[in-house]
Amino acid sequence: METAIFTHIKTIAIIGNPNVGKSSIFNQLTGLNQKIGNYPGVTVDKTVGFVRLGEKSFDLIDLPGTYSLYPKSEDEVIAHRVLNGIGEEKPDFALVILDACNLERSLLLGTQVMDLGIPLAFVVNMKDLAIKKGIEIKAFELYKSLGVPLVLTDARNNEGIDAIRQLMADEKFESPKPLLDSNAYADAALIEEVMGRFGFKNPYQAFQLLVFGEFDKAISQRDKQWLEEKSASYGFDRKKQQLKETEARYVKIAGILKSAVVRKKVESRNITISLDNIFLHPVFGFVIFLAIMLLIFQAIFAWASIPMDWIDVGFAGLSGWIYDNFPAGVLTDLLAEGIVPGIGGVVIFIPQIAMLFGFLAILEGTGYLSRVVFLMDRLMRPFGLHGKSVVPLISGMACAIPGIMAARNISNAKERLITILVTPWMSCSARLPVYIILIGLTVPDTLWMGVGLQAIGLLIMYLLGVLFTLLGALVLKFILKTKEKSYLMTELPIYRLPRWKTVLLTMFSKSKIFVFEAGKIILSISIVLWVLASYGPTGRMDAIENEKIALLENTPEEEWPIIEESYASKKLEASFIGIMGKAIEPAIRPLGYDWKIGIALLTSFAAREVFVGTIATIYSIGGDVENELTIREKLEKEVHPDTGEKVFDKATGFSLMVFYAFAMQCMSTLAVVYRETKSWKWPVLQTVVMTGVAYLAAFITYRIFS
Amino acid sequence: MTAARLSLQQSAIIESIGESDISINFLELGILPGKEIKLLKKAPFGGPMAFIIDENIIALRQHEALMIKLKS
Repeated sequence: METAIFTHIKTIAIIGNPNVGKSSIFNQLTGLNQKIGNYPGVTVDKTVGFVRLGEKSFDLIDLPGTYSLYPKSEDEVIAHRVLNGIGEEKPDFALVILDACNLERSLLLGTQVMDLGIPLAFVVNMKDLAIKKGIEIKAFELYKSLGVPLVLTDARNNEGIDAIRQLMADEKFESPKPLLDSNAYADAALIEEVMGRFGFKNPYQAFQLLVFGEFDKAISQRDKQWLEEKSASYGFDRKKQQLKETEARYVKIAGILKSAVVRKKVESRNITISLDNIFLHPVFGFVIFLAIMLLIFQAIFAWASIPMDWIDVGFAGLSGWIYDNFPAGVLTDLLAEGIVPGIGGVVIFIPQIAMLFGFLAILEGTGYLSRVVFLMDRLMRPFGLHGKSVVPLISGMACAIPGIMAARNISNAKERLITILVTPWMSCSARLPVYIILIGLTVPDTLWMGVGLQAIGLLIMYLLGVLFTLLGALVLKFILKTKEKSYLMTELPIYRLPRWKTVLLTMFSKSKIFVFEAGKIILSISIVLWVLASYGPTGRMDAIENEKIALLENTPEEEWPIIEESYASKKLEASFIGIMGKAIEPAIRPLGYDWKIGIALLTSFAAREVFVGTIATIYSIGGDVENELTIREKLEKEVHPDTGEKVFDKATGFSLMVFYAFAMQCMSTLAVVYRETKSWKWPVLQTVVMTGVAYLAAFITYRIFS
Repeated sequence: MTAARLSLQQSAIIESIGESDISINFLELGILPGKEIKLLKKAPFGGPMAFIIDENIIALRQHEALMIKLKS
């Protein structure tokens, strides 16, 4: 007879050490059926995959890779929370991925999960490597001594994945007797009390909470205090008992493995060590690293520009199509000039994000990324940064957005925050068009010692960015306080070929996160900017429009484009943003800017390169905006109406470049900083400080050159 | 002597791990008393050091290597 248990989809948490092939197994099981969400209060992404096996369905929760359940990073806190059902729904089962070559270390985590009492099964992955190393695993022995069902797999070659599916379909998860007795490490009465207060059924959960409580934000202040008082009254020393417990666990594991694992001596050449002789070489190691970074930089900078141009043209075409096919009116304007370009402004970053994360996934999958940390750590440390900060900073030279997203790999909260806060000072590709126009206007096109003076100017702007990034990091190092000590303890995994499926999935999911999370904010700000630039106080805009129509009626058609251009400029002047530009003129006067440049500064908040377009409109240049020469020639002739001096002289031009080098003028970056820090405090602070520094630096520059 | 003083390719047996906030991190990476540790590589200018323990390569800063006490 059929019983009616069909409504509840069972959940399985997948956990394992880093580099154990966990994501590989997760991806093989779920494919593209993945959802990415958030855990409250932390930056760890929550990835849930969906698996259908015959009649049954499962939600697979991909927990972050960790070596143990000890409270050190957000990752481990999340693993602890999920497995104990604190603030999250407790999964029905756990699947622990073990490394066949490192069973001792993997079982530290494996038996911890086991002791929590959650029904589980082990997946012993990378059996192919173990065989090569002469390690024979007696699966039945292991099952007999631990009581946990296990499957041997080689996930890379798709071996054993069906066995995992079968195990899940049969729900062959067991919760055996714990490996260690928690009462040996904490007073039984204390354990009893904790279990009572928090409703735990398992003593190890209580022990974990005694060790963890202090670190988990999901535990209320009152509970924390209670835990602390109880620990004190029972004389429970958290750190000491934790060490004692771990050592005892290792002793037990070693005992079990003595009979479950047979090691044969195998003579084999170690490819990893030979490769490390090259990749970690004190000279060639850095040369190779530089070459790889150049390749990535080239990709984000140059190759990405091809699909970015398609997106640009595509969205411009879409706007045009909307104008041609929709009835004229406010809604069509909003759609064609506000919403469509707004979405385009989000989508345009996808090629850069996908490329950077594709490269990162390859570097990580091959095991090279850990080597970068090894090589660069010494250079980054004096600035309060970590070896892992290198990749975000370098990618910041193309675009700060993927760089800031990549800072997630840095586990130390302070080093991560510093990296996020200073990355926008690296000279991103959006600044390039601004620099090119302004350098063309202010730096003579002559040679100096055989090198073009304009090229040197551009180089100086890039170096200025790097210099301030490092100085900023140094200042933050002293300002930001943390209890967390910085340390470097990282495994350099063996070199392997990357998994292309994982690479593609990473590219896809990172782009998706950006579009759906940061995209919302970017789209709303672009619409606001569009409204401000298209509308003005009632009456004024209409008056200009009527004046234009009156003028058009009385002129031959050939001259219409010139009139249209000059009125576009007048309209921008009369719009809300034009009024704002004029309002800030007194503030930017000391930097050498007039209200027209003020408007460009405001619209640049959508993205820095918008400067060029705005300047083109406001000086009614018209024609092909993409053609810098037209803009440059026109700006060259631009003079102050009162004094007759050139607007874009050396002082103003240099001051503007310095302003663009330092000011926070990118809403997309702000949206990503918000998303990565989970707080408006940092993006707001970043805007204020960066723009403040920009103002000061631009002021000094203007003084020096005028 | 500590692991920070090992020369390239030299190995020794770990005697104990010094007490600190990160003692537990050593244990969970498999850096345990009684294990053999060998120095594989050193990054230039006093940068991180790469050790081999149980066929795993683990990178530590000098500061962390100083906490690994070795049997003489």
